[in-house]
Amino acid sequence: MSFTTPYFTLPKFTYFKPKKLEDALSLLRQYKGKAKVMAGGIMLVNLMKERQIFPEYVIDIKGIDELKKISKTENGIKIGSAVTAIELQNSLIVRDNLPALAKAASYMGDRTLQHTVTIGGNISVGMPSTDGLPALMSMDSLLRIKSQDGERTIPASELVIGLGRTSLKDDEMITEIIVPYSSGLKGTYLKLINASEVAIATVAVSALLKERKLSVVIGAIAPRPYYFDHKSLQWKWEASLSENLKNASEIIGSNVKPMSDAVASSEYRKEVSKVLAVRALKEVFGGA
Amino acid sequence: MVVLKMKTISLKVNGITKEITVEDNELLLNVLREKLGITSVKAACWRGECGLCTVLLDGIPVKSCMTLAVETDGKEVITAEGLYSDERAKKLMESFVKHGAMQCGFCTPAFVVTSHYVLTKNPEVDGEELKKELNGVICRCGTYYQIYEAVKDAEKYYKKETKS
Ligand SMILES: Cc1cc2nc3c(=O)[nH]c(=O)nc-3n(C[C@H](O)[C@H](O)[C@H](O)COP(=O)(O)OP(=O)(O)OC[C@H]3O[C@@H](n4cnc5c(N)ncnc54)[C@H](O)[C@@H]3O)c2cc1C
Repeated sequence: MSFTTPYFTLPKFTYFKPKKLEDALSLLRQYKGKAKVMAGGIMLVNLMKERQIFPEYVIDIKGIDELKKISKTENGIKIGSAVTAIELQNSLIVRDNLPALAKAASYMGDRTLQHTVTIGGNISVGMPSTDGLPALMSMDSLLRIKSQDGERTIPASELVIGLGRTSLKDDEMITEIIVPYSSGLKGTYLKLINASEVAIATVAVSALLKERKLSVVIGAIAPRPYYFDHKSLQWKWEASLSENLKNASEIIGSNVKPMSDAVASSEYRKEVSKVLAVRALKEVFGGA
Repeated sequence: MVVLKMKTISLKVNGITKEITVEDNELLLNVLREKLGITSVKAACWRGECGLCTVLLDGIPVKSCMTLAVETDGKEVITAEGLYSDERAKKLMESFVKHGAMQCGFCTPAFVVTSHYVLTKNPEVDGEELKKELNGVICRCGTYYQIYEAVKDAEKYYKKETKS
């Protein structure tokens, strides 16, 4: 988010609140390039107030019930894109099986905003500091994307392609997040904030352990999160945890190229990335 | 060019259902303050940070500067004015006074509305959890401690067994 003074009004647009997904997709096609999806609207409204975007049509997807479901099957957990941060934290399916996501959701803005912010909107803003994406990436999540032409599924890691930019086409939207695990995950989400509890991350780390599958994602330090797994971390399952941690920390340190900004320098972010990664790994391995 | 259409929404505000004519791009905050004259809802940061424009929308706290008025068609808004007819909330407000939980008072309606929501949901809310629940509202005078005490003290009015 930039820090220009916002306007007290919004630019003019026409608002739609379809109840059916097909209707939303057909509006997106009809007004292709001129329409924006609005989920929680928290980012969209701010960008319009700052006169950074001027959509002629705003398509509110909060009225579409099928985007608000969370379900668990043997093959994984499905989360509708319009599920809110509070709903993620209150969902027993998420709390019991996807601890990293529940924790990340507790950081998506302050508690009041969390009633409004949605997981689909959170990952689509394409800001380095959004908390949803590192957590979803650590769990190898997939995104189900629909348009009037049909659907495709992409890894969450392929959504954000640059600052504020996603790989979605103008008439596409995310309908569902699919986490390909349904149980037995050990996960965590750690976030360093340099000001109050309610602020954007300086560094955020999400880690996941599922049997012999390990991943560590480092967010907030570059436009796209960094993804490491047991292979790129050269994890030796037979070796001691302390040896592995030392090695992993070095690999992370030499592979991340964090940005410098008003919040923190690149060097500082690099050190914190290593420290948080080690803490997150210790946590998923049970403290040892 | 966007052709603006006026829409009539039906909004229940503090117990009274009103038909209000709005444009698609109007913010709930502006409608409440300017069209309905509800001035406990404060306009301050305009970007979803300070929380002083918080209202209850169908019972859930939302920041009205981030909410489109058209989104609220068919819903119910409650502000601090509307809470005065709720005996428990009245006691909560008295508790704010008793504990001196304000200096300038500008954030008080937002804190009252938000803490009413929290206590209604769970009158035995854990202290740390309470602080988290209230972290969407900023008090520039820094009377957080007194606000915390005031809300804790008012828990008893929200417990079912207790007659207020
Ligand atoms: C003061 C403040 C502090 C914040 N702090 C944090 C923080 O620390 N961490 C954090 O993670 N978040 C934080 N947020 C929230 C975050 O910045 C975003 O505003 C929010 O997550 C967006 O979610 P939304 O549902 O409101 O999205 P919207 O504003 O509705 O949409 C955001 C963008 O995504 C698009 N979009 C929405 N849904 C879909 C979909 N299903 N498919 C395709 N495109 C879609 C929209 O067109 C828009 O471009 C903060 C917000 C504020 C105001």
